[in-house]
Amino acid sequence: MKELLRGTILILVVSLVLLLINNNLSEGSNKTGKNILTVYNWGEYIDPDLLKQFEKETGIKVIYETFDSNEGMMGKIEQGGTSYDITMPSEYMVEMMAEKDLLLPIDYSQIPNIKQIDPYFLDLPFDPGNKYSIPYFWGTVGIAYNPDLLDGQTFESWDNLWDPSLKQQVILVDSARETIGMGLNSLHYSLNSTNIDELQEATSKLKKLSPNVKAVIGDEVTQLMVNNEAAVALTWSGQAADMMSENDSIDYVVPEEGSNLWFDNFVIPRTAKNIEGAHAFINFMLDPEVAAQNADYVGYSTPNLTALDYMDPEVVADERFYPDEETRSHLEVYKNLGLKMLGIYNELFLEFKMDMK
Amino acid sequence: MKRINNLQKLYLIAVFIVLYAPIFYLIFYSFNSGGGMSHFESFTWEHYAAVFEDKRLIVIVLNTVIIALLSALLSTAIGVLGAMAIHFMRNKGMRNAVLSLNNILIVSPDVIIGASFLILFTMIGVKLGFASVLISHIAFSIPIVVIMVLPKLQEMSSTLIDAALDLGATRRDVVTRVILPFIQPGIFAGFFLALTYSLDDFAVTFFVTGNGFSTLSVEIYSMARAGITLTINALSGLIFVITVVLVLGYYAISKRTKMPMTGVKK
Repeated sequence: MKELLRGTILILVVSLVLLLINNNLSEGSNKTGKNILTVYNWGEYIDPDLLKQFEKETGIKVIYETFDSNEGMMGKIEQGGTSYDITMPSEYMVEMMAEKDLLLPIDYSQIPNIKQIDPYFLDLPFDPGNKYSIPYFWGTVGIAYNPDLLDGQTFESWDNLWDPSLKQQVILVDSARETIGMGLNSLHYSLNSTNIDELQEATSKLKKLSPNVKAVIGDEVTQLMVNNEAAVALTWSGQAADMMSENDSIDYVVPEEGSNLWFDNFVIPRTAKNIEGAHAFINFMLDPEVAAQNADYVGYSTPNLTALDYMDPEVVADERFYPDEETRSHLEVYKNLGLKMLGIYNELFLEFKMDMK
Repeated sequence: MKRINNLQKLYLIAVFIVLYAPIFYLIFYSFNSGGGMSHFESFTWEHYAAVFEDKRLIVIVLNTVIIALLSALLSTAIGVLGAMAIHFMRNKGMRNAVLSLNNILIVSPDVIIGASFLILFTMIGVKLGFASVLISHIAFSIPIVVIMVLPKLQEMSSTLIDAALDLGATRRDVVTRVILPFIQPGIFAGFFLALTYSLDDFAVTFFVTGNGFSTLSVEIYSMARAGITLTINALSGLIFVITVVLVLGYYAISKRTKMPMTGVKK
């Protein structure tokens, strides 16, 4: 009994000490006044120094939290109990959140820096007129490959993936829209096709790819490519950038038939408490120098046209991540196809996966 | 006890290699001056320095530890009482029913528990944060403690209690001087299991964190998309070392104060 009591007291004392240390460390984040801004972002998706700079410039204290999936993020915002002032969903999630009435319209009179954004990235189908969202980072879907492990194959066209010499070498992402979309693209169809015949055709073409498919996986692909365990992967440009930063041999290409253009966007959820602060934060992040610093840190492509002047010219000239007009004209943004159509995509994707040996 | 032969030793070594290799691999690269885990460039402490510079990360680690300690403590207290209640329940059907309810909570998926907590908390207006995380961690740890303590209670002979009562012990004495000392190993086991459960739980925690409060598992998972940095390796290394020190410390203390397991203590 004495031991139990001693243990209990010890634990209580330790917790108390830790709590005190914790309070000291997070001093100032005491939730007093309304000058607090809660940001809900993907992990490792902002330069932390910029948060400090923002706090210094505006006197607004930033509380920073992270999530790992669009769906999880929306689930929490939808359910309430939190007051996130800003979050950064991907484009299809912006559309879904707007449909569910979870977002506040953006007041552009408070965001003069909107003029820095490349008009090419504005007014897109997922959010016409950018009523609710402003692009944060963008990228493409393409092929990452490691020439060291291949005999000179290149991937200007999606069809190159079907090359018989690539037996058991290709890794696909475990995501219906990306994989079926790749099939559609290779047939020169739209990524947003709702035509059942086209979808069927794309699926049967994908099935012919199965001898070449090594695996259909998620984020683990980065490690496989970096460790030279896989030669070719269908992936997002951001993920490819990660691979390339760790393994110099890897290259990335967006095939000429076209591909997906994706976005992560600033939005202000309806639960926001500090709406003025949220606007100030977005405006701050759109400042060219800030955006440039952030893009350097994160390594994804920024939609901020003026920021490009402040960045390493070599990075900006890299057409793999800042593609030219010609490539861009082939890129398509996902549309929300509705639950029923999404179900069909998922089913076809499942059919393809089951067909693999 | 028969001495183990070489084959058995080899097998044991293999098992431990499998168990520890990933951790040492992780720690090895925490000293890598190159950015990633692919090839080792040269030795550096910079990632460890980065851990201590990142105030947010330290706050999150401390949060995680505080939640783990408090939730393990409270769930152990509640779980021990629960186990005793179940054990001494007269009605057998009732006892089995309660035990089954307890076991259902152990096997039910974390996502479901997490989502239900989220709905519950938002419905009754609990703000997500420290309290919500603590409450849910206590909740999912209690069934585990119950399961760890029950066998010890069953092991205890009921004559022990009868004897104590005959010798003039009050009910309180029976609990504090007979039952609790006897089931102490079970209580400790329950506590430590609850502690580890709380430390590494992601699914439940993800749903109930909010308002600036987060734990390490949530933080690390959310890095998946942009890539986990070597800072996390360094942090894992530190946590591993601290754990080893704690275990060794516990071992030393328990060896020194080792007493015969009679179950009854003055």
